[in-house]
Amino acid sequence: MTEDEIVLLARQAGLNLPAEYLPELLDAYANVRRMIDRIPVGRPRGDEPAHIFVPGKFMPVGE
Amino acid sequence: MDHPLLATHSDFSDPTALGIAELAPAIRSGALSPVALTEACLARIARYDNALRCFVTVTADRARLAAARAEAEIKAGHYRGPLHGIPYALKDIVDVAGVPTTAHSRLMPGTPAAADAHVTTLLEQAGAILLGKLGTFEFALGGPSWDLPWPPPLNPWNTDFLPGGSSSGSGAAVAARFVPMAIGTDTGGSVRWPAACCGIVGLKPTYGLLSRRGVQPNTFSIDHCGPMTRTVRDCALMLNVCAGHDPRDPGSADEAVPDYVAALTGDIAGLRIALVRNWYAGEATSEITDGVDRAAAILSRLGAIVEEVSLPDIGDYCDCKTLISTSELFTIHAADLRTRPEAFGEKLRQRVLGGVFIRAEEYLGALRWRNDLARGLQAWFGRYDALVTAGWLNTAEPADPNHVDFFRRGRNITMPFSLAGVPAISVPIGFGEHNLPLAMQIAAAPFAEATVLRVGDAYERVSEWTTRAPILHSGDSA
Repeated sequence: MTEDEIVLLARQAGLNLPAEYLPELLDAYANVRRMIDRIPVGRPRGDEPAHIFVPGKFMPVGE
Repeated sequence: MDHPLLATHSDFSDPTALGIAELAPAIRSGALSPVALTEACLARIARYDNALRCFVTVTADRARLAAARAEAEIKAGHYRGPLHGIPYALKDIVDVAGVPTTAHSRLMPGTPAAADAHVTTLLEQAGAILLGKLGTFEFALGGPSWDLPWPPPLNPWNTDFLPGGSSSGSGAAVAARFVPMAIGTDTGGSVRWPAACCGIVGLKPTYGLLSRRGVQPNTFSIDHCGPMTRTVRDCALMLNVCAGHDPRDPGSADEAVPDYVAALTGDIAGLRIALVRNWYAGEATSEITDGVDRAAAILSRLGAIVEEVSLPDIGDYCDCKTLISTSELFTIHAADLRTRPEAFGEKLRQRVLGGVFIRAEEYLGALRWRNDLARGLQAWFGRYDALVTAGWLNTAEPADPNHVDFFRRGRNITMPFSLAGVPAISVPIGFGEHNLPLAMQIAAAPFAEATVLRVGDAYERVSEWTTRAPILHSGDSA
């Protein structure tokens, strides 16, 4: 991935930072990419992630 | 409540030297005035905190009013319990109505919080006396930083070093005897790391045991509030007050809360303890490795069945946790990052930025990975009552802006228990080079806080580390 492509990725996600932050952006990309590449792949379709929604948690609660 | 573990004490010439277990019966009996205790703590803060920089805000007027009220209530026979009249302080991401929450950041508006956090409410209802708000890494993540409105707190044991973080001020203030108890928060180790560096006790409870309502978020799915005290007994007393279901926190667990002090029997004979040595041996400094090995040997002598086990590499937990955190942090801070990136401290901005590159597929992939790692770690609790490992892989870091950033090293021994959501306590186990504390962690199954407290207390009873106090110097001479 080139610097221009990394900047473009960030812009497409709505982050258009001034040039002074380019070194931080490139560093962040490299760090995140290394971790993303370690995520286990080839999961079964029904493999639930560690998040659930409990409807009762969002009922109004009295003071 | 009466409790045999609340000690009797007769020397109140310096009440700041005492912990909750000694202070509470004296306050209840009238032998010690909450007003005198509060004034002693405020005087100690006034004398020494210019050198340590623990407090962002000292709420002295409010504290004096609360102390007078507590004294009047107790004299009138309305004793609320062991925290009545006991001073405390809060990491400054925890709201107190009428007091600004700074999060140690220029991003916060500086206006007073509208309401108390739930944990603040519980401590106030117990009659505890708020002395102020404590320094933190920016939003409990970006630090230690020297480019924020407040410089980082320093370590009371040696001010050439930092107190760890992100609950930096909480760890340092309790170690410095400014307050006998404080609230910290822990997403990847932010209660346990400063506890380890400051020679105090810090508990990251089970995810959901303490409410996070009214606390600035770091990572919704991994954030915990936790008690920080000088001893395990004091930690149990504080947990008794702070634990419990909060229906207005979606992450709060509706679980029964036992009397944690009652778990402190001193007896761990027959308890099965797994020593996770591969997480620290060869990674930690030799003084930490030796210290944890010695602590494990003591647990064995106390009758526990200690066996060495090998768990997956720490890096797996750290990468998984960091991916989840970075995604959630970016969601929390994206609007500010887009409009005023210069208002962030450099370290917070660096740690949040990566979230822009994490796609939904990858975030959910990390959450699937979390399931694997949590399931794998919790499986050990089918065979063992507790896991023991090092509190941190190094002693405190130098107070040097140019020192290598610990986040860059990516080897954080507290993160496995963060990711798995299980209770883990940091307990002092000695001192190393530069007079800096060493620590071990004790972890147990979800909601088995009583077990980690029981093991920690049993160790504490036969060690003397929590009886030591740092020698402080005022800022005039430091």
